[in-house]
Amino acid sequence: MALVTKAPFRVGQKEIHLPNFTLTLLRMANQPPTSATFLVPLSLNKLDLRDYLYHAYNLRVLSVRSYIIQSKVAPTRPKSQARNWNRPQAQKRMTVEMERPFVWPDTPDDLEPWNHETREKTRAAQEEFQKTASRDADTRPDAGERKSLREQAKELLEGKERWKPVVGGSRGGRRR
Amino acid sequence: MSIQPLRSALQASSFNNASVILPAFLVPSVFHVQSSSFSTTSHLEGRRDANRNRGVSALRRTGLRKRQTLSVKVEDLPKPVLDPAQRSKIEVDENHALWQFFSRDKQPFYAVEQLSAPGRPWTVEELRRKDWEDLHRLWWVCVKERNRLATEAYERERVNAGYGEYEYLKRVVAIKRTQRAIKHTLTERWYGWEEARKVAQNDPEVNLNAIADGGAAYTPSRKSKRNKDEKPEAVTAPDPALVEAAVAEDLRTHVPLPPDQPSIENRARA
Repeated sequence: MALVTKAPFRVGQKEIHLPNFTLTLLRMANQPPTSATFLVPLSLNKLDLRDYLYHAYNLRVLSVRSYIIQSKVAPTRPKSQARNWNRPQAQKRMTVEMERPFVWPDTPDDLEPWNHETREKTRAAQEEFQKTASRDADTRPDAGERKSLREQAKELLEGKERWKPVVGGSRGGRRR
Repeated sequence: MSIQPLRSALQASSFNNASVILPAFLVPSVFHVQSSSFSTTSHLEGRRDANRNRGVSALRRTGLRKRQTLSVKVEDLPKPVLDPAQRSKIEVDENHALWQFFSRDKQPFYAVEQLSAPGRPWTVEELRRKDWEDLHRLWWVCVKERNRLATEAYERERVNAGYGEYEYLKRVVAIKRTQRAIKHTLTERWYGWEEARKVAQNDPEVNLNAIADGGAAYTPSRKSKRNKDEKPEAVTAPDPALVEAAVAEDLRTHVPLPPDQPSIENRARA
């Protein structure tokens, strides 16, 4: 471990031994490489961040900028009839300037280790199923069913298939 | 009254297939089609600031002096490289502090196998043996690991890479449990110290103001020393009936061992 050297700025007198918050480093597209942006808790200030980065990560920052992104008022349950509107908590970001540049590693081209294809297909299938199970499902005609009915009718008329009564109802019944 | 609204009215009427009866003074407008833009202001791209003295202040003495020339001409100024592909590659230091926000292989997000690697939280039983320095160090290891996980989770979701969120949440829960166990241990120690302090306030052998007074913190009295005549308590052999009962209870609750291993009954008799 590196030696504990005196900080190049005035350090506060209150010592916090067990901090309980998380810092998230963000990839920013249009910022210079000597800057880094973090997602910080709303109660953190610039002096705290400077202190934290120096003592925990041994990173000297030249300056810190902060800004808060207010959230839009959003319904708690978007797809429900009963909507409670609330404003989620705002997000605080801080940008620091460093002495030496840092560039994020590139995103891997092949996302197969994270099963990207499978996940996308699962999501699409779930959305399709949710549409059939939703309250306004009867406003959307089932195109697949219509096509299959058309084909079945064509086969019956052409004589390829013979009509058989269906047991157990109109949906998914057994054929005798 | 400009011509445009009238034309749209004519177009609307053609859609409806109805004829519009124009007033007499507007009839020539049908024959004269608009050829140029109504506005005489030039296009935005060709505009420049007509005021060459903008920003020049006599009070603050800004701007150039008379016949003063600059070493650099406007056309010689460096131009920014807008295409990211043509920008020069930046050398990143291997030991840069921000690499601590990434995994060891310096990738933007962990592979799913790494996330689901076995690793259980520390128990309170294990942490009770550790001193403050070790517990403090472990706390910070947990904090930095959570920062690392949060960084890569945000990037993975932003890029919509795929699975990993579930494993990430499980790992965060494990780390939080370790942190909770650390605080539990410290709280236990504090309560032990607090109780001892309360007892010590009423104990004549202990002087809580020793540092201020300059005296001894603990002065044992003669009564607390053990008598030389007293013999130490002898450890008696266990009652066989009690041993049998304990073994029977053990057999009832334990899972039976495989046949090739010695059973508890045999071990008890040995």
